Parts: sequence; C-alpha cells; structure tokens
Amino acid sequence: MSLGRAPVLLQLGLLVLLVLVPQVIQLSYLLDVLIVTVMYVGLALSYDLIVGHVGSLSLAQPAFYGIGAYAVALLSTRVGWPTVACLAAAAIIAGLLALPVGIPSFRLSQYSFAIGTLGFATVAQLVAQNWIDLTDGPMCVTGVPKASIGGLSFATLPSFYYFVLAVVIGIFLFTRRLVGSRIGRSFAAVHENELLASAVGVSPLKYKLLAFSLSAALAGVIGGMYAYYVNVVCPTELSLFITLNLLVILFIGGAGSPRGVVLGAIAGTSLPELLRLASSWRLVLFGVALLVIINFFPDGLEGGLRRIERRLARRSTSA
Amino acid sequence: MNGVLEVERITKRFFGLTVLDDVSFGVKPGELLSIIGPNGSGKTTLFNVISGFLRAERGRVRFHDTDITTWPPHAIARRGLVRTFQDVRLFAGLSALDNLRLAVQQHQEEDLLGRFVWSPKVRRMEREATHRATALLEEFGLFEQRHMRAGLLSYGQRKLLEFAMAIMPEPEVVLLDEPAAAVNPTMINTLTEHIVAYNSAGHTVVLIEHNMGVVMDISHRVLVLDSGRLIAQGPPEQVRENPLVLEAYFGR
Amino acid sequence: MALFLEQVVNGLTLGAYYALVAVGLALVFGVARLVNFAHGEFFMLGAYVLYFAYGVYHLPYGLAVLLAVLGLAAFGAVFHRLIYQPVMHRVWHVQLIATLAASFILANVAIIAVGSTQRSAATPFVTDVFTVGDMHVAYQRLLVLGVALVAFVALQQFIQRTPQGRAMRAIAQNREAAQVLGVDLAQVTRLTFVLSAALTGLAAGLVAPLYLIFPTVGSLLTLKAFAVVVIGGMGNATGALVVAFIVGLAEAFGAGYISIEYRDAIAFILMIVVLLWRPLGLMGRRVGI
Repeated sequence: MSLGRAPVLLQLGLLVLLVLVPQVIQLSYLLDVLIVTVMYVGLALSYDLIVGHVGSLSLAQPAFYGIGAYAVALLSTRVGWPTVACLAAAAIIAGLLALPVGIPSFRLSQYSFAIGTLGFATVAQLVAQNWIDLTDGPMCVTGVPKASIGGLSFATLPSFYYFVLAVVIGIFLFTRRLVGSRIGRSFAAVHENELLASAVGVSPLKYKLLAFSLSAALAGVIGGMYAYYVNVVCPTELSLFITLNLLVILFIGGAGSPRGVVLGAIAGTSLPELLRLASSWRLVLFGVALLVIINFFPDGLEGGLRRIERRLARRSTSA
Repeated sequence: MNGVLEVERITKRFFGLTVLDDVSFGVKPGELLSIIGPNGSGKTTLFNVISGFLRAERGRVRFHDTDITTWPPHAIARRGLVRTFQDVRLFAGLSALDNLRLAVQQHQEEDLLGRFVWSPKVRRMEREATHRATALLEEFGLFEQRHMRAGLLSYGQRKLLEFAMAIMPEPEVVLLDEPAAAVNPTMINTLTEHIVAYNSAGHTVVLIEHNMGVVMDISHRVLVLDSGRLIAQGPPEQVRENPLVLEAYFGR
Repeated sequence: MALFLEQVVNGLTLGAYYALVAVGLALVFGVARLVNFAHGEFFMLGAYVLYFAYGVYHLPYGLAVLLAVLGLAAFGAVFHRLIYQPVMHRVWHVQLIATLAASFILANVAIIAVGSTQRSAATPFVTDVFTVGDMHVAYQRLLVLGVALVAFVALQQFIQRTPQGRAMRAIAQNREAAQVLGVDLAQVTRLTFVLSAALTGLAAGLVAPLYLIFPTVGSLLTLKAFAVVVIGGMGNATGALVVAFIVGLAEAFGAGYISIEYRDAIAFILMIVVLLWRPLGLMGRRVGI
C-alpha cells in the first residue's frame, strides 16, 4: 500500500541514522538514551502484538519483561549459560508463562483479561520481591556478565548498542512479516469481530493466546537484553509504570502498525530521557500527555501519516 | 439417520421464554431447503444452535452422524458447515480478497512450522487461495473491487461478498440467513442464481427467507416455524396451501 | 482461641474496609461500565484529607472523617467531569486507559506535593483496646465495622427506595431503554461516581488511622478491589460486598497462620482460581445492585 519511494527512503534514512549515530556521537549519555530508546521500541512492538493486532488490553508486559530479565540474570550467573541460550530461555519461559495466565483471563469477558493480567503483574512483582531464595529479593541479582556471542563481546556501549539494535530490527521485521501473513489476517479478524471470526473457522481463543504468548516471549527477550545492559536485576524492574509508558507509545504512534509503534517509541522514550525530568514529574507529564492524546489525537502519529499518504496517493492517481 | 444434517428435538429457552420447542428435521444431501415463518418464530436462533453459537437446553445436532451439539462454532465451520449472518458481517477493515482468503485458510491443512515460516507448502496454499478467491470475485462481478476494503463496498456488493465468503471453502452444507433481505430485485436475481448454482453443484443449502417468491422458486423443500415449533414441512406448493401455515402468517 | 477470635475481627475489619472500597468500584462498573483504575487514588486522597484535618490541624476526628467523605464526594464529581465524561462514548479500553493515566497523575502529584514519607494519622481508638477475656480488639476496628455496616444499609436503602437509585439500577440493566424513558445518563453516572468516591472517602477516614499513609497506597488497593469485584461478578455490588469479607478473612488468616509476605497475593490467587472454576464470577454477571 505504499506509494512512491518517499516512505521507504525515509525509513531507510532513519535506519542509516540509527546505525551511524554512535560513530558520530561519542557521549556515553546520549548512547545510553539511544539504547534505552531502542529497547523500548522492541518492548512496544511486543506489546503491540497483543494490544494493537489482536485488540486485547494486557497489563502484564512488565511481568514478562521482568521474567526475561531474571531468567537471563539467574541462568548466566548461577548456571553459567552463554548469551544466546539465556536469551532463548528468557523468550521461552516468558512465552510459556503467558498460557496459564491467558487461558483463564480470556474466558470471562473482555474486562477480565485486563484485570487478570494486572493481577499477574502484581503477583510477579511480589514474587520477585519475596522469593529470596530465587531472586535475592530486594538485594537484586548482581554480577550478570556482559553479553557475548562466539568470541564477540558486547562490553562497550557502542557494541552493545549495535547488538540491541540488531535484535530489535529483527523483532521489527518479524512483527511486520507477521502482520502481512495468514496469522496476521487471523489476528485482524479476531480483533474486528470475534463472532464472525468463529463463523469462518478462526478460533478466537487460540489466536489471542498465540498473540499473547508471542508478545510475552518478545518482552522476555527485551528484558534479557536489559539484564545484559545493566548487569543487575532488581524487583523494581517489574514496575507497572512500564505499562503506562507503553500505552503512551502506542497511542502516540498508533497501535496495530509496526512503523507507527517504532515512531511512537522513539518519540515517547527519547524525549523524556533527554529532558531529564524527575520521575514523578515525568509520570505526571505522561499521564497528562496520554489524556490529551486520547481526547484530541485518537489516531496517533500513524493515523496522521496514513492520512497524509492517502492524500498523496489521491494526488498521484488523479495526475 | 441418513441426512447430511440431522436436527433432533432441539429446545431452546431464553429466560423462561421457549424460543425453540422440540424441533426435529433432517436435511438430505444436495437439497435446497428453505425455512420460513413469521418474525420471532426462532429461525435465526435455530441457525445459531446448529452452528454452535448457542447451546440448546435439549436435543442434538448431527452432521454426517457426528454429534456436533457441543462443538464450538469455529470447529463446526472447519468441519464443512458454514453459515452467514442476517446483518451482513464482513471484515470491513480487510480487502475483499483478504476476506475470502481468510474464509478458506482455516480449512487448509498446515503444519505448525508452516504457520510461521513461509514454507513452499504455505506459499502454494496462498497461491491457490488467491486464485480461487479471484475467480470467485470475477464470477460475482467484484473483480474490480478485489483490493478495496470491504467496508467501502455497496450493500449489494457486500451481500455478494458475504455469500462468496461462505462458499469459498466449498462447505458441504451452507446455512444462509436471509440472503435476499433489503436487496433490490436485480440483485435478488443475481444472488438466487449463485445460490442455485452452488446447490446444483451438489452442495446442500439451507435458507432462511422471507421473500416468498425466492422460496417458492428455488426450494426443493420448505420448513415452516411458528413460535418455535415446526408446523409444516414439504414441497413448496404443498406448504403454500397448508392451513396452519396460512394461519401463522395471516392471523388467527 | 483468643488469637483465633482476634484474627476473625481483623478479618472482618479488613473485609469491611475492602467492601467499602470494592462496592464503590462495582457500582461504577455496573452503572457507568467503567473499569476505574484510579479508584485506589480516591482512597489515598481521602487518607490525606484525614491526615491534614485530624493529624495536622487537629480537628475533631468525627469532623475529619466527615470532611474526607464530603471532600471525596466533590472530587468524584470533578473526576466524572474531567476524566470520564470526555471519553464516555468511547470504547472501554480507552476509558480504562484514561483512568490509568489519572491514577498516575494523582499519585505522582501527591508525591510532588507532600513527599513520599509515610505518615500516620492514628487516633486514640487505635491504641485503646477493648478486652474480653484474653482477646484484645482495638476500638478503631469496631468503629470500622460498625460505621461500615450503617453505610451499607443506608446505601442499600438509597438504591432500592429512591428515584435516583432506581435510575441507577435502570441504567445498569439496560442503558438504552433507560435513556429512552428520559433518564439522564450524565447525571446518573455523576451520582454514581459521587457515591463511589464518598464510600471510599469513608473507608479512608475509618481505616487510615490503622495503617500508614503514603502517595502510592492506592495502587495495591485498586488491584485488590478489582480482584474482589471480578470474583463477585463484575458490576454486582452485593457480590463485591460478600467477597470483600471473604478476602478480608482469608488475608487475616493467611497472614496470621501462613505467611506475611504473600498476604497481598491471596486476593489475586483467589481470583485466578475462581475464574478458572466459574468464569462469570461467583455470583454471575448479574449487572445491577
């Protein structure tokens, strides 16, 4: 559905920019902002799978993110597994845990999924804090080694940045592919009209669970990346504030579209980080921003972009 | 039991109101059966029960001797029993082609890996689906609109698309809920032609209709429901003369 | 034995506390169809009103509680206008997100305004103890139970006997039909918010003296209240009431006899178990009061 080369060029341009930045800017502070932003892009893409594509409001993303972080932290420090194995385990554990949470939560009404996932997120936080034997509780799991694949170590900021960028680009490509595939079609069908989806043979529960599980697995990967970044994992990582951030991002960018989500994540993460707001002020600002966006810009950036594209298309076909 | 679809003693109640009362009938393979009756007689509820959207308090539904009474709707659809809805339901946000591809993809065999990886097998199935979808759209005069979002089609076009979606996976039995409702006479002819064509190809069609012209014209057999009860069944001419039927429609 | 009875009283007090909070939430869900994530912040605001009125300005305790109730009632109307009304006709998850945003705003404004230090607004009733044999019960707990009971009876009478209550029940059961009969949706939903907030304000006035007050006290409370409402059957205020007491007792005994740390998880585990067994909640999704 793209017209002309403009959007593709812009996206490529953005990619080039993202790749080149560390070469140009040596400030470690800015690199840190970039790394966090890219991680949020990945997390937002994972969140969009369940919220945007299938339309189920999950509030459990922080839990899966935290589970991934702890999986990597524990497996790398206590069992000594290499990076790729840890990240794969993070994805699998998070993805599998989504099932016992999703199955009862999807059963009741739409509301119960939101509440069920919220309950799960709360319990996860409590477990992280209190199951001292497993997680060291408030003492955190420390000493997570730097990531490395083969002989290549990602110890420096720029090298880690490239690592996380590669992973998130992979996630982006995967979700974009998924949207255009048969599965993506089924997601859209379930999102739009569950009854009708049943009538054509699509099981709503199956596809919601699939989206939820994939979303959890990807969030787990991002959590794992985070563990490799700061080398310490604490129970505070499972904070429910993450959900607020993600919702702002999805609303800014436009849920359901990978491109919109990427833009929203970049806007929604880098700006506040760069502004260096105290966390309370930032949350108030986010809350207000979210209210403003909900009320005045229901379509987000992606909606705005689409409108521009459509106008451009009309002009080019009528030419 | 040698009908392709057997409905046995179905009773359905809503809050104390009996909407279907001990309804039993069989559908012969290749038949074109119409179900008629005054408003509120339970016809759509009957469809809902048969296709798994509602659970009856009593009775069984059998499809090829398999008891599908408790099956969920998507399983029944995949088995080969497809239904349409009274208010035309399509995926407005998807293109016409995508609606059709969606309608058939659940019926194609896929392995688990194929679902994720764009394997040659999946690619072939997609090609076949697109091929058939395009042919169908052409047949229904919707080829020009194949990439259009279904929500943007005209009412008549949506009706055609809905029927196309229903027959896309070539189900053995298709339940059509008022396919000719609120449609202009030309379109009614078009739809009826397609319905009869599908039936002549050997598929079983069960129709709910109010349009007596259509019913009398194309049905092999007619069932009459009144207040949840089956009050008559037989060939169209016979049912038309039936005093019970006349009473149900024109008052007591 | 004395310990057992003390736990029973603790459990009932907790139950009354949760009930006051959960019933308000259930009402808002039943009538306005809103999943209100800022509900716990109502409690937090009420607690701070109590703290300032009683703890800082040393107003009489009864007056302080009254201020909490009235203040929250007014706030309920404000919340209705600012947060709910703009998104009243939007899809439910947009509404939920609006309340989530409000929740974060309220909690963090509180942090900025009064700081995160935990405060106490303990009344003499907390330490004064009522003794029967070996059993000691703080008067405050009995106060919570007593006043809550009165409040519930009053609420029930209001909802069953008055025209406004009738309007609430009508909207809860069939929104369109009620409106066609002339019921003003905005007015009825505003009243519901006012009631919901007032009940929570009352809970704050009664319960805050027993515990510590801090800006994020609302978040866990919101979740528990939701667990209670879901278990009882969404929108079913009676269900919420009953389940609140069950959860209160479960927590009291769980903390007393099993483990303190996971006490807060009890409500959610119960919720998941109940949802697995009875997807519609214990008392079914009978919307209405």
